Amino acid sequence: MAEFSWDIRSPLDRTLVTGPYGARGEAGLSLTEIRNFDLVQAMARRGKAAEMAAAAKARFGVAAPETPKAVGNADATLIWSGPDQFFVLSKGGRHGIEALASVFAGSASLSDQSHARALISVSGQRVRAMLAKLSSIDLHPDVFAVGSAAATSMDHTSVTLWRGGDRGGQAVFNLLVFSTFAESLWHTILDSAAEYGVTIGHSEELA
Amino acid sequence: MKYSIFSLARAALSGHKNWQRTWRDASPKDRYDVVIIGGGGHGLATAWFLASEFGIRNVAVLEKGWIGSGNAGRNTTIIRSNYGLPGNTGFYELSMKLWERMEQDLNYNSMVSQRGVINLYHSDAQRDAYARRGNTMRINGIDAELLDLAAVRKMMPFLNFDNARFPVQGGLLQRRGGTARHDAVVWGYAHAASALGVDIIQNCEVTGFTRDTNGKVTGVDTSRGRIGAGKVGMAVAGFSSRVAAMAGLRLPIESHVLQAFVSEAIKPLLPNVMTFGAGHFYVSQSDKGGLVFGGDIDGYNSYAQRGNLPVMEDVCEGGMALIPMIGRVRLLRQWGGIMDMSMDGTPIIDKSPVEGLYLNAGWCYGGFKATPGSGLVFAHLIARDEAHKEAARFRLDRFQRGAMIDEKGQGAQPNLH
Amino acid sequence: MRIVCPFCGERELGEFTYLGDAKPRRPAADAGEEAVYDYVYLRDNIAGPMSEHWYHGGGCRAWLKVTRNTLTHEISAVVPAAGAGAAKVDA
Ligand SMILES: Cc1cc2nc3c(=O)[nH]c(=O)nc-3n(C[C@H](O)[C@H](O)[C@H](O)COP(=O)(O)OP(=O)(O)OC[C@H]3O[C@@H](n4cnc5c(N)ncnc54)[C@H](O)[C@@H]3O)c2cc1C
Ligand SMILES: [Zn+2]
Repeated sequence: MAEFSWDIRSPLDRTLVTGPYGARGEAGLSLTEIRNFDLVQAMARRGKAAEMAAAAKARFGVAAPETPKAVGNADATLIWSGPDQFFVLSKGGRHGIEALASVFAGSASLSDQSHARALISVSGQRVRAMLAKLSSIDLHPDVFAVGSAAATSMDHTSVTLWRGGDRGGQAVFNLLVFSTFAESLWHTILDSAAEYGVTIGHSEELA
Repeated sequence: MKYSIFSLARAALSGHKNWQRTWRDASPKDRYDVVIIGGGGHGLATAWFLASEFGIRNVAVLEKGWIGSGNAGRNTTIIRSNYGLPGNTGFYELSMKLWERMEQDLNYNSMVSQRGVINLYHSDAQRDAYARRGNTMRINGIDAELLDLAAVRKMMPFLNFDNARFPVQGGLLQRRGGTARHDAVVWGYAHAASALGVDIIQNCEVTGFTRDTNGKVTGVDTSRGRIGAGKVGMAVAGFSSRVAAMAGLRLPIESHVLQAFVSEAIKPLLPNVMTFGAGHFYVSQSDKGGLVFGGDIDGYNSYAQRGNLPVMEDVCEGGMALIPMIGRVRLLRQWGGIMDMSMDGTPIIDKSPVEGLYLNAGWCYGGFKATPGSGLVFAHLIARDEAHKEAARFRLDRFQRGAMIDEKGQGAQPNLH
Repeated sequence: MRIVCPFCGERELGEFTYLGDAKPRRPAADAGEEAVYDYVYLRDNIAGPMSEHWYHGGGCRAWLKVTRNTLTHEISAVVPAAGAGAAKVDA
């Protein structure tokens, strides 16, 4: 039998060009793809939402979000993705699907989304102006504070959006998008961001 | 009065002050042989054919607003006969032939313009489907040409050929297709029917049916009083379910909103009517220069005659994908009409289960092109009590018998037709 | 038209997909052809407030039951449809 070897690479591998993009001068925003993460989606079994929540609390020390929020501890972020379901975002296999299987056995169905999504992080002075062209959600700090999340669409593409902790005094917005749609959304984001000037990069660090 | 070069000259000599009204605005009489509900294109055409072809002249057309205030005056005026299924093919070609002689028949300039309708294709599979449809048309004696990329490029060099997500590969062209001026079609039928004695009664809303002890319809109750009728035909498009409900009927129809858009006027650009094959966008250019375009129905039940922004966005995206330069043209107006979406996307022209009541409904977003054909076959049905041969498949019971005519192959989900 | 999703909050229409009238119930397997014909093909096609199913596919992917006036597009109520959110509603 033939041996297959899989070359794991980011869905944005061919598209992402690091460095400056768009308007010259001081960049209005930075656009960073986060690579090599573990992403598991947990969905409560029928009538088992409370059990799933209890299991999450025991594992992570925080209650899984029941409304559109992102919560977390030092090494995992739990992001609401719909009624009675959430994502577990982490690194290094500690909270990957194998590790979580026994935690949620009986209370939730798990599916590994690690390679099914791309994770894009945007921040900077003009980040809200740029996102306003793509999203119909009100991202004003009074309404969309740190830890707010939304299952929504940008440019007809389903995304999971949440606001991470501020970095250097600037708001950070994270976007999970289906891998196969990532290139398309990436181009849309670049079009939207070009006028503000962008610094493009990728990173292995979760924001 | 009769319109001709002489009547025009005569009127010009008197400073255009002596034109008579195109048609007579009548008041209801007590009784008619036939009452038609709905003063859109179909209702008026039916009345004219009853009077001119079948010798039934004691006819009234009852319209709740003004004639042409419904879909007849809201559509994007495309006429074509490029259908592929038995039932549709013959009927729409009958209608196309009637368009070709309409202006002589009615003595009215309805501005029929056979500028051609081209459906663009963007994949091999779509080309094959269009080739098949084109062949079906030709076997049935209807003109159709499959154009390759070079021919399309020559015809419309301004399309996005080089940088498109779904590159144009060619198109199916029906040269005899085109447009007609929708209001003029309404006025033309009103003009010709009125001249033969048909009463056209506006601001007359039908609110119920009168029935005899056997349940047979004997007339209608209206906002202008009770009117007796030997037979009643309904041609009320988006209101079909509501009027049918007055006779206790439920129909295989949902009412949905379809929007249309007009841009500011630009110099002559589009030579024909064009449909995008990789999204919902179709466009033609009016004689005034505006681009008249539209796309898909909004997708939810509606009687509101106005739509929402997602479809507007979708249509504009389709337009930009196909003709990037229209991004510089401003949109002037936008509106909606109520579509009688049937469960297979095909009309119903049939006797109803209630004696004396005849149905003409389910036109979806494509009933303008059907206007003359619909008038003829519906008049035939009412006058003779039997279906015209080109409309024999448009039966109400076809859903029960499994004889749907589903051109798009979508099944019983009207917002997908 | 904007729909207030009970899970996500107020969202633009483009995130939702329409199914239609929420009233028809699938007939029992032995109900007979007439009942199936009625269920599949006939519609009340209400002009006025109507209870209908919408899907928040561009958001939380929950099915919703929306009460909407088809004459004005005014929405008076939105609740999760049966089965939306495994724990919240009886299926
Ligand atoms: C935006 C748009 C674009 C379209 N584009 C095309 C196209 O390009 N090509 C094409 O072939 N078709 C097109 N159509 C479809 C086409 O316009 C319709 O299928 C066709 O006009 C329907 O027939 P009608 O003219 O008789 O309808 P209508 O003009 O709607 O006539 C029905 C009449 O019945 C009246 N009525 C309703 N209830 C009552 C009552 N109780 N009592 C008395 N009167 C009543 C209404 O007021 C109305 O005037 C389009 C439609 C729309 C809305
Ligand atoms: Zn939602």
